[in-house]
Amino acid sequence: MPPVKHLRVPAGKEDVEALRPGDFIVLDGELVITAGIPTYARLAQCLKDGTPPPIDMNGAALLHFGGMSEIDGDKFSLRYINPTTSTRFNGVMPELIRGFGLRIVGGKGGLDANCVAAMRDSGCVYLSFIGGGCTLFSESIREVIDIGWKDMIPHYRLLKLRVEGLGPAVVGIDAHGNSLYADSERAAQINLKTALADNA
Amino acid sequence: MGITSEQIRRVTAELYDRSLRKIPDETRQALERAAETETNPIAKGTLAVMLRSAAEAEKFSHFVCSDSGIPVYFVKIGTRVQFDGPVKQAIVDGFADLVGTINPPMLPHVTNPLTLERGHAGKDMPITTFDLIDDADYIEIICSPKALGSGRWAALEIFTFPTLETIEAYILDVVMRAGPQHCPPVVIGVGIGGTFDYAAKLAKQAMLRPVGETSPEPILAAMEQRLLTKVNSLGFGPMGTGGDTTSMGVHIEYASGHGFTPVAVCFNCWINRRRSARIYNDGRVEYFE
Repeated sequence: MPPVKHLRVPAGKEDVEALRPGDFIVLDGELVITAGIPTYARLAQCLKDGTPPPIDMNGAALLHFGGMSEIDGDKFSLRYINPTTSTRFNGVMPELIRGFGLRIVGGKGGLDANCVAAMRDSGCVYLSFIGGGCTLFSESIREVIDIGWKDMIPHYRLLKLRVEGLGPAVVGIDAHGNSLYADSERAAQINLKTALADNA
Repeated sequence: MGITSEQIRRVTAELYDRSLRKIPDETRQALERAAETETNPIAKGTLAVMLRSAAEAEKFSHFVCSDSGIPVYFVKIGTRVQFDGPVKQAIVDGFADLVGTINPPMLPHVTNPLTLERGHAGKDMPITTFDLIDDADYIEIICSPKALGSGRWAALEIFTFPTLETIEAYILDVVMRAGPQHCPPVVIGVGIGGTFDYAAKLAKQAMLRPVGETSPEPILAAMEQRLLTKVNSLGFGPMGTGGDTTSMGVHIEYASGHGFTPVAVCFNCWINRRRSARIYNDGRVEYFE
């Protein structure tokens, strides 16, 4: 396993500004997860309406993670978590990053240039978790602190968790406009030309 | 004597369950080899996290990925087999049994494409295709649960009298469109020729081959090697944060056709989820990774 840095969440602006692309990070503390496109739309609506969401999102770490949660009367259990495809939320993330002053976002597959710009403006980083990390990442769950929007299906609910050692994740996009995804896309475009030239 | 509905029901559920908890040994070995040879330190670290994740899932008999996907089965029926009861319903019942009993529970991923409502059952679920094996006294069942992460990026295009260069350029184009999104390093399945539907089926069959098993057709074996080198030269790397390992293997199948040539491309993510079994006419069951 690669050497990792521990980062306490919610994190301060200086903490995330000190991170560099390619750093391996594990998270300790409190964060929010959801995998639902309708959930992200509701969060954006809260910003538009000026109404607070059921969980305080200001300065939060918000991860594109789904969770299998079960509600039985007053009892609630969280069985497992895992990242989902972040690019599905490209459209809504810039306003959430700016509106809530999110310090950390993350999931898998990265975010687009508009999100990178919002992250640079606000002081926010994107963490790349592996897809297929269900058991590994679920081991870090210590407590479900709060559940928002229980009317939704399990992996769409807004969950506030306390975790210890969630990760390792890679800093995929830093708070200074650098994105490993943009770098590899640019390199791939150039490498594709070479590959196609070899084809001829 | 014959193969009972109860056996099919039990085996289809068991295959799905096993596929969720352990990555195939040959896939783990391919990831280990990649971790050895990677020159990008971030990619090397990410591959190590993947191997650790797979080991933890196996140790605790938990899911490798929370997206347990939708049920997809390929059933090949030996012509010397006799069935004692319905087959299609047994597969439907097997999935329902699994949903009802599996621990931890599966998330509801079966989606109605018209209403976007999600649940554990739906029209034409499980997706099942049937084929025949002449003279065999068993049925072979392959379970390949499919999830959005890698299922989303499959593509097909139809060409007329394409050169191999045209076909290879298209495959690279599909790989470029998927970019870092399909949880690389992936297995790439390609189907060339036949018809619209048949090319897609060939691509799926190719994807399900053991990692790195080359085509017996020399033209395709050479193409597989060329494409693997080219795909990995693009540099997306594990989870798309850069590196030498975007694909573990490119597997290609072909069929004759008319001059119009469909080319289908599909992906399996790094956990390469699949399991198979044979049920023999005399009641024996054999499981394979």
